This record gives sequence, C-alpha cells and structure tokens, in this order.
Amino acid sequence: MDFSKILLVLKREYFTRAKSKSFILSTILTPLVLIGFGAFMVWIMTSETETDKSVGVYDQTGVLVENLIALDSVRYSNVSDLPIDTVKAMVLREDLDAYLLLEEKHIETNENAELIYGGSGGLAFSSSVRGDIRDVIQEERLSRANVSDEVKELFARRPGLDSRKLTAEGEAEDDKAGFMSGVGFVLGLLIFIGLFGYGAVLMRSVIEEKTNRIVEVITSSLKPIELLIGKVAGVCLLGFTQFTVWAVMYIGISMAAVPIAGVLMQDQISEMADTQDIEQVAAEAGFDPASLEVLSIDPMIFVYFFLFFVLGFFMYAALFAAVGSAVDSEQDTQQFMPILMVPLMGAYILNTRIMVDPDSTLAVVASMFPLTSPINMITRIATTDVPVWQIGASLALLVASFFGVMWVSAKIYRVGILMYGKKASFGDFAKWIRQS
Amino acid sequence: MTIIHVENIRKSFGKNKAVDDVSFDVEKGRIFGLLGPNGAGKTTTIRMINNILGPDEGSITINGQIASPLTQKMIGYMPEERGLYKKMKVEEQLLYLTQLKGMKTKAAKEAIHYWLDRFDASDWTKKEVGELSKGMSQKIQFIATIAHDPDIYIFDEPFSGLDPINSDMLKDIIIELKNNGKTILFSTHRMEQVEQMCDDICLFNKGKAVLQGKLREVKASFGKNTINLEFDGDGSFLDKLEGVRLNNRSTNFAEIRVLNGQNMQDILKLAMEHAEIHKFERIEPSLNEIFISTVGEDNLKAQRLEEAQ
Repeated sequence: MDFSKILLVLKREYFTRAKSKSFILSTILTPLVLIGFGAFMVWIMTSETETDKSVGVYDQTGVLVENLIALDSVRYSNVSDLPIDTVKAMVLREDLDAYLLLEEKHIETNENAELIYGGSGGLAFSSSVRGDIRDVIQEERLSRANVSDEVKELFARRPGLDSRKLTAEGEAEDDKAGFMSGVGFVLGLLIFIGLFGYGAVLMRSVIEEKTNRIVEVITSSLKPIELLIGKVAGVCLLGFTQFTVWAVMYIGISMAAVPIAGVLMQDQISEMADTQDIEQVAAEAGFDPASLEVLSIDPMIFVYFFLFFVLGFFMYAALFAAVGSAVDSEQDTQQFMPILMVPLMGAYILNTRIMVDPDSTLAVVASMFPLTSPINMITRIATTDVPVWQIGASLALLVASFFGVMWVSAKIYRVGILMYGKKASFGDFAKWIRQS
Repeated sequence: MTIIHVENIRKSFGKNKAVDDVSFDVEKGRIFGLLGPNGAGKTTTIRMINNILGPDEGSITINGQIASPLTQKMIGYMPEERGLYKKMKVEEQLLYLTQLKGMKTKAAKEAIHYWLDRFDASDWTKKEVGELSKGMSQKIQFIATIAHDPDIYIFDEPFSGLDPINSDMLKDIIIELKNNGKTILFSTHRMEQVEQMCDDICLFNKGKAVLQGKLREVKASFGKNTINLEFDGDGSFLDKLEGVRLNNRSTNFAEIRVLNGQNMQDILKLAMEHAEIHKFERIEPSLNEIFISTVGEDNLKAQRLEEAQ
C-alpha cells in the first residue's frame, strides 16, 4: 500500500469535486430545502384536515340527541322523527354523510352504537364521532346513576403526567426527552442522507472513470485497492466539508435566532404578564425555551456521530463502488440498487420507531446490526442512555464488517473496472470474487 | 540486454484461456511488435506486463525485477481505449498522472511544459480536456504516457483512431525514443506498420505466441518464395495456377506465394502466354503472408504437401 499515491487520489477526488458548481450549490441549497420541507411537514400536521360532515342522529332514547347537538351543532342534526328509510335515502343521496343509530341498550349495556355512512368515511371522522358518543353516553349514565356533582367533576378531569429525568447528581433536571428524540432522529436522518448521497457521488465517480476509459491508465500506476481507498476517503472528506458548513450555518442561524426570538417573546410576555405567569404564556404559545438551547446537546453525541458516519460511510461506499465498477452507465445500476436500498431504507423506517422507543429489543438489535447501526445507533445514543458495551459492540461489528465488505468489494472492483460492454449479474460478482 | 522477460505466462477468464503459455524477451533499445488478430491475447499480455493483471502462472520480470508497483514506474503505458478526465484542466491532469508515476511536482511540471511546448499545446494548459478536439486530446494522451521519462514505452494499438498528422507524429516520437536508447513495445493487427518500424516481432494467435524473432530473420526464414507480378491483359490465367496462394490481387497486380516449391519459371511462362508482363520479381513474403501462412489453415495444407514430396 503506497500512501503517497492514495493521498494523490484523495486530493484529486476531493478538490475537483469541492470546486465544482454542483457541490457549492448543493451545500447552500440543501439546508434551505430541508427547512422548507420541515415547514411543509409542520403545516400538514397542524392544518385542519377534518372536513365538515353532517350526521343525522336517529335517537330512540330521546335524551342523547340534544347533548350531541349541544356538542357540535354543525355536525349533528336530529332525524329521529323521520322514518328510518327516509334517513337511509338521505345518506344515499348524500344529503347526509352518515347517520347514527342510538338506542336505549347503548346506555344501559356495553353494546356499541352504530354509525352508518355512505360515500367515504375516514378514520379521523369515525374516531371523532366515537369521542362525542362516549362523552354524551357517559354523561347520561352518570346522571341516571344520580351521582353528585362532585363525582361528575371527578370524571370530567383528566389526570396528566409530567416527566423529569434523574441525573447522577440526584437532581431532577428538566426533561428533554422530546427534544432529544427529535435530535436523535435528525442525526440518524443526516447519516442516512450522507451514506446515500455521498455513496451515490462515489458510485458516479467510479462509473465516470470507467466510461472515460481513464481507469486503465490509472491502474498502470497504482493498485486498484489504493485507487478505491483514495476515492472513498476523498468523498468522505467531501461529506465532512459539507456537514461542517451546515453545522456552522446552523449554529450561526440559531445564535442569531435566540436573541431575536427572545425579543419577540419579551413583547408577548410583557403584554400578558399582568394576568398570567410567564411559564404558562410560553407553554400556551407552544414554545419550549429549552429548544433554543442547541448548544446544550452533549458534545459526545457529535463524536459518536463522526464515528458512525465515517465507519458506516466506508462500508457503504465500498458497496457503492463495487456496484459502480460493475456497470457501464448509471442506468445499469438499477438491478444492484436493492442491495444498498433495502438496508438503508429499512434503517430509516426503523428509526421512526426507535426515536420513540429507544430501549426496545428491536432498537437494540437494529443498533448492533452493522448495515443499520450507523443510522439507528446514533438515534439511540441521542435519545436514551445506551450502555457502553452496546456502543462498543456496535462499533466493533461495524469495523469488522467494514473490512469484510471492503475485501469483497475490492475484488469485484478490481475486475469490474476493466470489464466493458457486458452487463454484469450477481453470478458474475461471485465469479470475480473467486477469480481475483 | 533483455529488459522485459516473459516466461510461460498463462491467464484465464473463466473457461476462456486468454493467454496460454507465452514466453518472449524484449531487448533494450529496440522496437518490439506484438501482432495478431483481435482477441489473440495481446491486450491481456500487455496488461500483465503493466501489472494491471497478474498472471495465473508464469513470471514477468522488468529490468530483472518481478512486475510490481515498482516496475510500473519504469513503464509508460497508452492503452487501446484511451481516456482522460473530461472535467479536469490539461495541466492539472498531466500533473496528477505523472505524479502517480512517482515524479516529484517540480520535475513533473518541467517535463509537462517541455512536451506541451513541443506539441504547440502550451496554450491549452488551463483548458478542460472536454473542450479539446479529438486530435488535441490525443496529444495530451501521448504526453501523459511519456512525460515521466520511463525506460519502457508500451502502446496498445497506438495508431487506431489517430488522424494522419498525429499518426506521423507518434511514429516520429517512437523513432526518437528508440534513438535515445528507450525500449518500445507496441501491439497492432495492422502488419504494414510493423514492417516499417519493428526490430523484433512476436506473433499471437488464440492465446499462444506462434512465431517470434527478429523481423528480418523471420522474413528471411520464409525464403524468397513470393512473386510480385505486374501485368497487362486478362488476369484469369491466375486461377489456373496450382499450389500457390494469391494475395493482394487486383486487375493488373498479384502477389503470388509459391507453396510447394514448384518452379517459378513455369508460372512466368504461363503468365507470358496470357498477358503482357511488366514486372516479375522474387521477394520475401510480406508479414501479412507470413501471418496467414503461420496461423491459417492453408499452412497445414502446405505442410502436408511438402511432406508428400
């Protein structure tokens, strides 16, 4: 292994790409796109998705319908006086979206009331009707049981839960679980994007050298493995450059944002401070001051982020390079992409579970398995206290499989880069591995 | 002095024996031609000499050292499929390629500028290769091959795809390199180039080296058994000849290879009866004829005829 040659390859790979317009553009635009996407997601989550639906209440008890109309006079209307066939016809004509059949037994026994709808229902619609029905039936049951107002009061109250974390110092600190699982998910997402995005950059670079036919000139000067390592390291460094730029942008923006947000908050708070205490104001504004303390993330998390990104990248990059070496053009990569897509997408999907349930068996296994651990472990580390042995084992497995994958990929790469005009298959891969 | 020593090398790809027990020596300061049809194993052999591929069996030594990253620096290699990074600037690219061959930055820059000047290409240093014309990028490719001043130059099918100007230029460079004591090995399937330039040849067919030696000796060994005939008139008499093979036949010219030692005077007599003869010359066979008679089926037929006599 000649490190001066690896360094030459690395420098070429890094500088020709770092100077390219597409790199500079993507460095600047990606955060903007992400912010836009985030804003879009928030908009979707918060926007009113429920449409007004009309429900005719066919009430044989004579007591529930008024309470329902009192709850939501737009949705519910009384059709108890009409023949049931007329009500059905109205639903079919779409004068009504649905009708609700309420009988005495629904109050007296545990039998469920029925909602019959025409056209489309929708989960949100039926669950919201279910909530209304529960309220009015429970109220009716309570009043029939002739209980005191105090007891009714008790039923109306919903017990809540505040969570706090116990630290080694024995002091309970403000719970950041929600914030940290968000951070964990974002870090996992960044590694996912990094592995996939830079892996694809590397794959294109390998294909480019092949289609340019320069690779034979290069391999008459160095070993394919030196070329491979130099390229992987160069693209990895490129990833760091981009992440560093983004981190600096993020810190810069949030350092500017905290005082600005502070000033805005101050105005609001001083307006309302007369009547309510500050914490409540903040809570009502849906604003958690802790979320501004970006710098309060444990720096060790970033060390782990670095480790898992580098090791994960080297492993996946070797696979991407092997695929690139086996084809003549990017279109031909389709048949091999599942090898890369399935574990990466799988890890990403698992992450949505792991961020809310970081100590489950599934989470532990996924954060150990080398193909998913770079993404899943960082999310766990941020979200929960992962035992040191698990982190150690995960890293060890990752390193071991990195060498294994590199060894196999290098063999495919060696043969693949000199193969032209023939579409390789998985069978060819096996042959090439045996051959070299 | 032997500078490239190839001994009993074999290389298979699956069931296909690309190179099958080949041995030859390349002498220092000479031009060595690897000949043979496409798929005969020339490129695979060249890749093994360049240490791009390793032989399954046998050994290759360059300057007395087993082929290795170290011997790669002694060789300048231009593959048949030529290529450069399209998005890289000419100077950057040449610097990268020569540094990979182990040259220091300063020496590499000097060498690159020397060759760019010689090819009137100094204005292109800051241009991307993708912007250059095909002929221009071919010149850059030559420079990339020779700038690190190695002792050995290997060109795989160097003249294929070259325009006439670059083709002449490459010939001049090869002659100049030879005069400077360098060793050149090139492969080709076009025999006339070999006749013009090579000192030694090795003929490949189906993965085997079927004939090798100094070009003159190889030709002399086939004897002056070929006739160059120029005539005027009806050429159909040529079809009546037996025990000969006609090469390069046209309306008033034929190259006649006499296979079974029959009397050339008889051929002349027959020719004079049917046409006006302008030229009748006994020559050594062309390399093309040597190639056909060495690897072609006719060779076997002629051998049997000779044995029968």
